[in-house]
Amino acid sequence: MRETWVVGAASNRFGKMKESGREAATRVAMEAIRQSGLSPKDIGYTFVANAFGISEHQGHVGPLINNGLGIPEVPSATLESACSSSSAALHEAYVHVAGGFIDVALVVGVEKLSHLDTLAATSYFAVAADYAFETKNGATFPGLYATLASAYRQEFHPKDEMFGAIAVKNHANAARNPHAHFQKEISMETYLSSPMIASPLRLYDCCPFSDGASALVIAAKEFVQRPVTEPLVFRASARSGAVTDMQDRPDLLGIPSTRLAADKAFRQAKMTPKDINFLEVHDCFTIAEALALEDLGFLPKGTAAKESYEGLTARDGKLPVNPSGGLKAKGHPVSATGASQVVEIFEQFNGLAKGREVPKAEVALAHNVGATGGSCSVHIFSRR
Amino acid sequence: MKGYEEGGRLRGLRCRHCGLITATWGLACSRCGSLELEEHELALRGKVVAYTILHVPGDEFLNDAPYAYVVVALDGGGQITGWMPTVKQESDLEIGQRVRYSSSYKPGVQFVKETDAGAGG
Ligand SMILES: CC(C)(COP(=O)(O)OP(=O)(O)OC[C@H]1O[C@@H](n2cnc3c(N)ncnc32)[C@H](O)[C@@H]1OP(=O)(O)O)[C@@H](O)C(=O)NCCC(=O)NCCS
Ligand SMILES: [Zn+2]
Repeated sequence: MRETWVVGAASNRFGKMKESGREAATRVAMEAIRQSGLSPKDIGYTFVANAFGISEHQGHVGPLINNGLGIPEVPSATLESACSSSSAALHEAYVHVAGGFIDVALVVGVEKLSHLDTLAATSYFAVAADYAFETKNGATFPGLYATLASAYRQEFHPKDEMFGAIAVKNHANAARNPHAHFQKEISMETYLSSPMIASPLRLYDCCPFSDGASALVIAAKEFVQRPVTEPLVFRASARSGAVTDMQDRPDLLGIPSTRLAADKAFRQAKMTPKDINFLEVHDCFTIAEALALEDLGFLPKGTAAKESYEGLTARDGKLPVNPSGGLKAKGHPVSATGASQVVEIFEQFNGLAKGREVPKAEVALAHNVGATGGSCSVHIFSRR
Repeated sequence: MKGYEEGGRLRGLRCRHCGLITATWGLACSRCGSLELEEHELALRGKVVAYTILHVPGDEFLNDAPYAYVVVALDGGGQITGWMPTVKQESDLEIGQRVRYSSSYKPGVQFVKETDAGAGG
C-alpha cells in the first residue's frame, strides 16, 4: 500500500444553508481542491455522502457535483452509512488511492435539512434505526441514545453536571470555530435548565439538525511530491460493524463497533491511545462522547463523564476532545460530519484553527458512528 | 418481518447452537453465526433494563408523546424494545419495573406495568 495523504480540506458554515446541498457540496469541493494545489482534472473518483438527499428530491448527486467542477467524465458514487456516511466515503477513497487504483480522490459529504421541521427531521432520521424492531416501537435517535444514557447512569451514577461539562466544553470550542452551527458558549445553568428531549437527555445534551458540507482531497504521496499544505498522513483507516439492535446487545454500556474499529485502527497504526494528541469523536449526544472515550480505549468504563467534568478533555487539557465543538455545537449535518472531523484535524495541523489551537497537533484520531453503532469508522493521522 | 408480534403473542427465534433468544429477524444467529435457528415463543412478561421518556416523537407517535421507550428483558430469555403509552414522566418508571405485553391499537410492541389492569397480557 502506498503512503496516502489528505492534502486539502474544506467546510462551509454549518447551520442553515440558503443554497441547495448540491451547490454547497460543489463549492466546498472546489475550495478543498484549490487548497490542495491540485486541479479538478487530477481527480480519479468522487466519493459522495448524502444520506438524506431524497428530502431535497435529489439522489445521484455525484455526477452533478462533478459536472459543476468541470469534470463530468470522472466516476462517482454515493455511500450511505447513516451518520458515518462521509467517513465511509473517506475509507473507500483511502482504499482506492493507497491500493494504487487512482492517484487522487475527492470525498464530499453534504446534508440539507433545514427545510424540514422537527417532526419531519426526527422521522427521517429514525429510518436509520431498525425500523421494524425499534422505530415502529417508538424509537427516535435521541430516544435510543437516551436509553444508553439510562443504562450508564444506572451502572455508574454520574452527576448531571458531568454530562453538562461535555456540552459546556463543546460549546466553548465551537464559539471559536467559524464553521460551527452554534458559535456561542453556554453555562452549566443553561444546560441544567434546558428542557428534557428524551430523559435523561436535555436539549443541550443533543446535537442539532444542521445543514452543512465538507470536502477532502486524498492523494498518493508519490503523486503529489511537493505538497502546498501540511498533509495529514493516513496511519489507519478502519471500519467495523456490530449488532444494530439494542435488544440484541450483550450490554448497553458501550458501542461495540467502536471497540472493534479502534482495535483495528491501533493495530494498523502500530499505536496505542497514548500516542494520540487530540481527538474528534462522535458526540451526537453527550453520552456518546463519554462512551466513545471509553470504547476507544482512552479511559476505563464509567469514568469519562467524570474526567470531562474535571477538565481532562478541554482544549488545553491533557487530552483535548472535539476542539471543533463536536457534533453537539459545531453541528451534525449527518453526511458531512465524518469529513468535517478531518477538516478540523487538517486545520489544526495547518495552523488554521485560530483561537482554538490544541497544545500539540502531531497525531490525531477521528471517530464517526453510524446510527447507534451499526457502523463505526476510526481514522488516525500524523504529520509527515 | 410480519408476525413477530401477532395475535397477542410475541414470536422470536432461538439459536440451537449458542442458545441466543432474539426477537430480531434473521437467517443466522447474530451472536455465533449458526444457521440452526428455531422459532421460539417469547414470554410476555419481563423487567425494564433501560428506558427513556420521549418528549419529541416521530410522525408515527405524534399524538402519543410523552411516552416511555423501553428495553425489556423477558422472563424466559431474550430482550425486546417497546413503548409504554401510560408512562408520562420520569418518576413513573424505574429500571427493574415488572411489565407485561399488552396488544395495542397500533403496530408496535406495547407494554404496561405488570400490575396495571387493562387489555392484553
Ligand atoms: C433536540 C431537538 C429535538 C431540538 O429541536 P427543537 O425542539 O425543534 O428545537 P427548535 O428547532 O425549535 O429550536 C429552538 C431553539 O433551540 C435551539 N436548538 C435546537 N436544537 C438545539 C441543540 N441541539 N442544542 C442547542 N440549541 C438547540 C435552536 O437554535 C433554537 O434557538 P433560537 O430559538 O435561538 O432560534 C433536535 O435538535 C434534535 O432532535 N436533535 C437530535 C438530532 C439527531 O437525532 N441527530 C442524529 C443523531 S445520531
Ligand atoms: Zn448462536
